[in-house]
Amino acid sequence: MALSGMRGLSVFISDIRNCQNKEQERLRVDKELGNIRTRFKNEKALTPYEKKKYVWKMLYIYMLGYDVDFGHMEAVSLISAPKYPEKQVGYIVTSSLLNENHDFLRLAINTVRNDIIGRNETFQCLALTMVGNIGGREFAESLAPDVQKLLISSSCRPLVRKKAALCLLRLYRKNPDVVNVDGWADRMAQLLDERDLGVLTSSMSLLVALVSNNHEAYWSCLPKCVKILERLARNQDIPQEYTYYGIPSPWLQVKTMRALQYFPTVEDPNTRRSLFEVLQRILMGTDVVKNVNKNNASHAVLFEALALVMHLDAEKEMMTQCVSLLGKFISVREPNIRYLGLENMTRMLMVTDVQDIIKKHQAQIITSLKDPDISIRRRALDLLYGMCDISNAKDIVEELLQYLKTAEFAMREELSLKAAILAEKFAPDLSWYVDVILQLIDKAGDFVSDDIWFRVVQFVTNNEDLQPYAAAKAREYLDKPAIHETMVKVSAYILGEFGHLIARRPGCSPKELFNLIHEKLPTVSTYTVSILLSTYAKILMHSHPPDPELQNQIWSIFKKYESSIEVEIQQRAVEYYALSRKGEALMDILAEMPKFPERQSALIKKAEDTEVDTAEQSAIKLRAQQQAQTSNALVVQDQRPANGAPPLSVGQLNLVKMPSMSSNVDDYPADPRLSQENGALATVNSQPPPADILSDLLGPLAIEGPPSSSVHPQPSPTSELEGTAVESTAIVPAGVQANSVQPIGNISERFQALCVKDSGVLYEDPYIQIGVKAEWRAHHGHMVLFLGNKNTAPLVSVQAIMLPPTHLKMELSLVPETIPPRAQVQCPLEVINLRPSRDVSVLDFSYKFGNDMVNVKLRLPAVLNKFLQPISISAEEFFPQWRSLPGPPLKLQEVVRGVRPLPLIEMANLFNSFHVTVCPGLDPNPNNLVASTTFYSESTRAMLCLIRIETDPADRTQLRMTVASGDPTVTFELKEFIKEQLIIIPTATRVLTQPPPPTPPVVQPTSAPAAPTDPGALLAALL
Amino acid sequence: MIRAVLVMNTQGRPRITKFYEFWPVEKQHEAIRNVFSVLCSRAEHVSNFVDAESIFGPDSRLVYKHFATLYFVLIFDSSENELAMLDLIQVFVETLDKCFRNVCELDIVFNYSKIHAILDEIIFGGQVLETSSTEVMKAVEEITKLEAASNAINLVSKSVSNWRSR
Repeated sequence: MALSGMRGLSVFISDIRNCQNKEQERLRVDKELGNIRTRFKNEKALTPYEKKKYVWKMLYIYMLGYDVDFGHMEAVSLISAPKYPEKQVGYIVTSSLLNENHDFLRLAINTVRNDIIGRNETFQCLALTMVGNIGGREFAESLAPDVQKLLISSSCRPLVRKKAALCLLRLYRKNPDVVNVDGWADRMAQLLDERDLGVLTSSMSLLVALVSNNHEAYWSCLPKCVKILERLARNQDIPQEYTYYGIPSPWLQVKTMRALQYFPTVEDPNTRRSLFEVLQRILMGTDVVKNVNKNNASHAVLFEALALVMHLDAEKEMMTQCVSLLGKFISVREPNIRYLGLENMTRMLMVTDVQDIIKKHQAQIITSLKDPDISIRRRALDLLYGMCDISNAKDIVEELLQYLKTAEFAMREELSLKAAILAEKFAPDLSWYVDVILQLIDKAGDFVSDDIWFRVVQFVTNNEDLQPYAAAKAREYLDKPAIHETMVKVSAYILGEFGHLIARRPGCSPKELFNLIHEKLPTVSTYTVSILLSTYAKILMHSHPPDPELQNQIWSIFKKYESSIEVEIQQRAVEYYALSRKGEALMDILAEMPKFPERQSALIKKAEDTEVDTAEQSAIKLRAQQQAQTSNALVVQDQRPANGAPPLSVGQLNLVKMPSMSSNVDDYPADPRLSQENGALATVNSQPPPADILSDLLGPLAIEGPPSSSVHPQPSPTSELEGTAVESTAIVPAGVQANSVQPIGNISERFQALCVKDSGVLYEDPYIQIGVKAEWRAHHGHMVLFLGNKNTAPLVSVQAIMLPPTHLKMELSLVPETIPPRAQVQCPLEVINLRPSRDVSVLDFSYKFGNDMVNVKLRLPAVLNKFLQPISISAEEFFPQWRSLPGPPLKLQEVVRGVRPLPLIEMANLFNSFHVTVCPGLDPNPNNLVASTTFYSESTRAMLCLIRIETDPADRTQLRMTVASGDPTVTFELKEFIKEQLIIIPTATRVLTQPPPPTPPVVQPTSAPAAPTDPGALLAALL
Repeated sequence: MIRAVLVMNTQGRPRITKFYEFWPVEKQHEAIRNVFSVLCSRAEHVSNFVDAESIFGPDSRLVYKHFATLYFVLIFDSSENELAMLDLIQVFVETLDKCFRNVCELDIVFNYSKIHAILDEIIFGGQVLETSSTEVMKAVEEITKLEAASNAINLVSKSVSNWRSR
């Protein structure tokens, strides 16, 4: 009846069709659902026919997009109905409404199994279809043998067997063990002798799934596949009903060739010869004809043959033939073939060395960029991007820029990103690169991400020859009437920095530049205003002799913005105003930006990442991987098209001249040990520096950003005052960059977090995760390091060396040299605190993965506050103690400045997190804090410590701190410890856009009592 | 593997939908809407391919065919050949045509359950099951006969029970 129509269902569908709007439809659906719900409640009264009708209605409602969250049980129960129509609807609806994890499905397993092993073929078909659609792991475990039997049974009809083949494929996906049966591979090979095309097609799909995971077991199938191809393509030995528009079952041909692509090679010369004959026949014998369907079918086979030829790496002759065929395809009228022609050319770039032949078709490919079909334009863009190299970059990028004007919005972002990347990678000269990016911003400013303009600034800053050119170009664009805000940003920045280089040209005097830029100010966002303010300050500095009128004009602008509600703008205005009144001294402060450290382009990195993400899991990729294993083909390794271009890193170095570091060479650590920052990885590896995760302009801007501001093109007074400190932090990324293995997450943040809690992750990179769990009791500590290998390969040469400071006695149990794949090793570590000290122990950890030797120095969170225990004391106990400790060295007092402003309550929380108990109410002054704690070490035993903090409500950045205890060293160390905590900006509260907080070197007291010869202390001090 | 079969009319109303991977119903509908908005903006005589990764995630392809008031859409991954998928749509439509003699949207609307049966004979769990429309027709006719046979019995029993209750 399902097929011959149900009146109730038809009436319902008509009703839905007659609904005027979505609202009416919803009402009608709700009414029906309510009706069905009440009917189902009284299930006994329902005839099977009615039940069936309602279940179909539910499926219809589900298709309309309404959730049907009841009646599932009714649908499943129909499966066990004895008669065909109910059973049928039960199976069909169950497989449409339920997913494989649904509980009700379990209830049905037995019924399903009975149908499969039963004698009724139609029931078998229904059950197989349902399992094939939604069968899960449990079905795989209980049904696989029965399904296999059906598939190889000679007494079964093909109708059942072809379903069994695909059902088995589903079960195999859910549990690959179902084919781990003795002799299964032989049976699979026998299945390929099948004469029935339906069964053969299904079996071939099964084979494709099997060989894609493990071709080794199925070598015996390979010659049979070739036989099938011969039978179809050469002999056309096939029943009439399987000929589709004159083509012998294109699906079977395609599947067979797919299966062959999962075998790495065809070794047997006879098989190989036969296969190539067939392939040759397909390649040569296919023409574009009038009938669209025939065309599609014949080209389905043809494109699969092309893929197989690419895979088998045939004699050069056949490859050339393929490319010329593709060249023909990309200019035919039939859009589908044009599309696939472009797509396959792009794929071809990936595996073989045929760029030169493909380049001959460049003109045609560029024409495809103007195709009326966006799908085709996209493929053309991909291909142009892939085939671009130094020789054709200019042509291609200029075409992309042309196209940008007319491209639809959906494509502009991708287009501008690709143009920017190509311009950067293959620029024949740098001025051309600058031209391209400025044009990009001009034509598609909305689609140009910050990364792109940051990068051009970086290039210009690092290349002196380029600076006057860039400045002149920026000046030109400013003349245009309506320019994009990004253009304002980049021109203002460049003119601020380098405008003075072109000051003698007409129209480029400081005053003229200023006027041009200032015109834009009313229309830009606050972020850009802050850039403009910096530019004004720079222009002012560069005007020689000073122009009083310009000076007044700029000063009045600064004055005006001094009251801006935007903190960033206000701060800049105030600071620049104050600075610019210093006259000559300004020169030193607002000097040109230093050069950016070398780094990989964020753009290229981004593009590579997405390419890897979206790289198809196709036979071709598989092949690429196979190739990478056997040869060192550079191009295949990173799965990007070969461009015949110099390797990436070399290209980069060509583009950006090595920054001459003469000016700030002193900032570089002279001692090689210094460059081994905490957590900075010292990698023994000769490979070129890989991608820096945090790379690029967000990094370089840190150089510019004063600690107080977000993105800031010039050193602000504060950063300048601390001169070296800021500069040296800017150098850090350069050091980090030289490593091939990048840590995941911020090592320093992880350490900070572990200082206030007892378990967590200490370090993580792509290969390993090091976790810590600790227990502290008085001056004893018990730590466990968890070394977890994240990979499927072992980590070898694992070494962990403790570098404890003198005050800690540490014993690390043996660390195994190898960590097995996916295993976690626990290494207990005993700690005894001998004396009070703030020095930090360091774990020198190294391991080897493949060719990467990774070495990290990690601070361990065995820090002073771990040996503190909170203690709360009353006024009666506190004051006598406090008074009994008269003064230095047992009681030390210090006025601390530069404290980060914290509300008192937060400061109290901070203290509590370090086990220093704040005792409220002891101090009558509400602006003061009194706290106490007990410090434990072997030499001092338990030592009561008392702390008093006096804050100044008028100035939260300073406070007076008094620390007292019965031991001078404890007093000193605790005082310094608290001071560090108050001054250092904790990482957790840092705003994302801010540069990493400079670990202020000034905080480190020179009077630290640690022996200078102690290696651990030395390292810790460097951290 | 084929991920989904969608048949919708040129107003975006779904006519047959079948997902071979689990998709929550609201996601299904969001996807159908997105597919429709892409398809309805495409001109005639362009290619039958549309970028589908923004709708169906990475490694997904989409081919479609436009017949009169209906779009037939297949979504699948890179393990399938695009043109072969296009051919499969043609097989589906030709089979419908044989079943209904010049199939039109109304046939599909009112023979909702039959269309499901046909589709199940062509695509099985996301794999191509049968490509010969002759074979598909045979299988469907068998089912129809079976149903007709049991219907006859059904009707009798129903009328008997009605008669009894009177």
